[in-house]
Amino acid sequence: MTMSIDTRKIVAEIEEEVRRKRATGELPADFERELDSVFARYAPVGALDLHFDQLLEKIDASTLDTIAPLESSRPLVPQLKLVVRKAIGWYVRYIANQLSATMAGLSRALRLLGNRVDVLEANAPRLAADAALVNVAGDLSVWYDLVVAETKSVTGRVLHAECGTGGVVAHLVEAGIDAYGVDPDDDVVLEAGARSIDVRATDVTDHLRVLDPGSLGAIILSGCVDRLGLGAQVALADLASVKLAVGGRLLVLGTDPSAWGRAQSTVAADLAPGRPLHPETWVALLERRGFGDTSVHDGPAGEQLNPVPAKSAGAAAMNANIAMLNRTLFRPSAYAVVATRTH
Amino acid sequence: MTTIHQFVPSYTTRSWAGVHSGNVADVLHGMGIESKIFVGEARGVRRSDVHPFRDFAHEPERTDQWLLYQLSTGSLIADALTTRSEPVIVNYHNVTPGSLWAAWEPFVVPEMAEGRHQMHRLAGRTVLGISDSSYNNAELIAAGYPRGEVCPILADYDDLGSHGDSATESRLRATKGGADWMFVGRVAPNKCQHQIVKAFAFYRKVYDPGARLWLAGGSASHAYLRAIENLVAALGLDDAVTILGSASQDIVTAHHRVADVVVCLSDHEGFCIPLVEAMWHGIPIVAYASSAVPETVGDAGLLLQDKSAAVVAAAVHRVVTDGALRMSLVEAGTKRLSELSLDRTRARFAELIEMAIGAGR
Repeated sequence: MTMSIDTRKIVAEIEEEVRRKRATGELPADFERELDSVFARYAPVGALDLHFDQLLEKIDASTLDTIAPLESSRPLVPQLKLVVRKAIGWYVRYIANQLSATMAGLSRALRLLGNRVDVLEANAPRLAADAALVNVAGDLSVWYDLVVAETKSVTGRVLHAECGTGGVVAHLVEAGIDAYGVDPDDDVVLEAGARSIDVRATDVTDHLRVLDPGSLGAIILSGCVDRLGLGAQVALADLASVKLAVGGRLLVLGTDPSAWGRAQSTVAADLAPGRPLHPETWVALLERRGFGDTSVHDGPAGEQLNPVPAKSAGAAAMNANIAMLNRTLFRPSAYAVVATRTH
Repeated sequence: MTTIHQFVPSYTTRSWAGVHSGNVADVLHGMGIESKIFVGEARGVRRSDVHPFRDFAHEPERTDQWLLYQLSTGSLIADALTTRSEPVIVNYHNVTPGSLWAAWEPFVVPEMAEGRHQMHRLAGRTVLGISDSSYNNAELIAAGYPRGEVCPILADYDDLGSHGDSATESRLRATKGGADWMFVGRVAPNKCQHQIVKAFAFYRKVYDPGARLWLAGGSASHAYLRAIENLVAALGLDDAVTILGSASQDIVTAHHRVADVVVCLSDHEGFCIPLVEAMWHGIPIVAYASSAVPETVGDAGLLLQDKSAAVVAAAVHRVVTDGALRMSLVEAGTKRLSELSLDRTRARFAELIEMAIGAGR
């Protein structure tokens, strides 16, 4: 009789080992993604969460299979099926030809429609060339303790988007958490790569779309949540609600609207296609999408108006007004919203 | 004399429904209860073993008669039973959520959805729900069943696993070059064989280039089977992955005897007999902890919350290389197997039937 082994502990050790090897590059992360993309070639459209171009590629690559399978566990049925297949083959091919022509036409129409949408998007602020100037990432080190505390017990990988040069990711990995990041800026990704931090050059929305539902333990959103338009911000909330595992955490590290243009350069703030949302708005959006256990954390207080010396004439009234102005105009410039996917 | 007839929507001798219903019939006969099996459709059975449901449909109602419905999919039988006044016992094996099949076999989804609707509709007509697992039982209780009890599937695992094709076994042993993975189950989207293939590809690349994978079980979805075949070919695994299809029990047993690990990554299982078969053969299990899998496996396997290829491959590597762990899992499997033995499940089922009849008197 051998000693009973705690299998939960073994599984935790295995997950920890995979985390460590992913972080050090011992496990081929690219191969995992390659496996997903190979299967995506053969799965029907509805089984995958594809973006527009991938979807059209799938439709273009799909063919109508007119050779029906013959296998059966019953005797003589394969032979019978073969006879039926041969007998009605001309009819099936006739229908299939028309369906193929219709599908090709629909695909062409969708591509034309997609081109027109591309033109509209190119003229919209989000894709304007000047928007490249928009870099709203602030100093996220104030949130290090919070992100570690909120993600250390989750099951599954932790994603930080947009992660810049990967400061938060590196901090999480040092704390033993299996984390990686994405950022659309190739330069910062190269910088992160030089420091052996797992950061991928991609847009956060595109990245989330190709992940399996429930595959992430936690998602940390920063930067993108400030500068994206309202539709894209809501889309992020939608995607996060699907891609997080039940019990997974979402952390929104945002800029307070009252500090927009003060915490970042005014040029960046003006050129951004969107504006930051209030933390209460994120809470409302997330609660409608099945998140619970929400909390809001203020960042450190920034520069504020100073009170006048108490001995001055009318100081009390003036300081009360200054306090009101500080509360209204000079709130902490950053906040964190934490929410848990409950179902 | 009390009569309890069984009603099975789809019956084949080798399926779990056939095995379970046959054993339930033995239990009922052993209790001195008259019992027949009425089926919606049947394959590979003797005419004397089962009767078409249409033979029962017009029988007059009797006060000493009970209806035992084997619920695992949508069927017209369920609706027909609800129109009769005899007390109903539902033996619930769960119905796969249609969402897991929608992309692959959309025409099957309505039947699955109907199975779930019927499970709810039968709640008001049922005196006792008997489920294979606590997971299934929780669904019955949530659907409003007045009473739900658990009794695992009645299967004689000694009978299932004792005869193996020796030529196949010899060939597999002679060609063994690494760890052998195995999974038994219909090729179906909810069984996620594609994820087993992906994890296996990762395992071959990182840990063991000589590993092999055997997938046994008939195809329930041609589209899904073809996608898996294409995936195997695209990954260059034709020589390493064998899709056995609906092979005979002897062939499956031969593979079991050589396999090093059974890997199950299903998204939905109401019980999962193949995991118990793995225990019978002394094979450790690596499984995704979904639906009823954790309670079926118990301590006989590693239960994963994350089924990404890297984690599954690392778990299999650990099971294959850690002798103490392997032995512990096999021992736990033997213990769990004894809890699921046919003697015990038959006694439990008889106890529940007594309970139902007592309550109905």
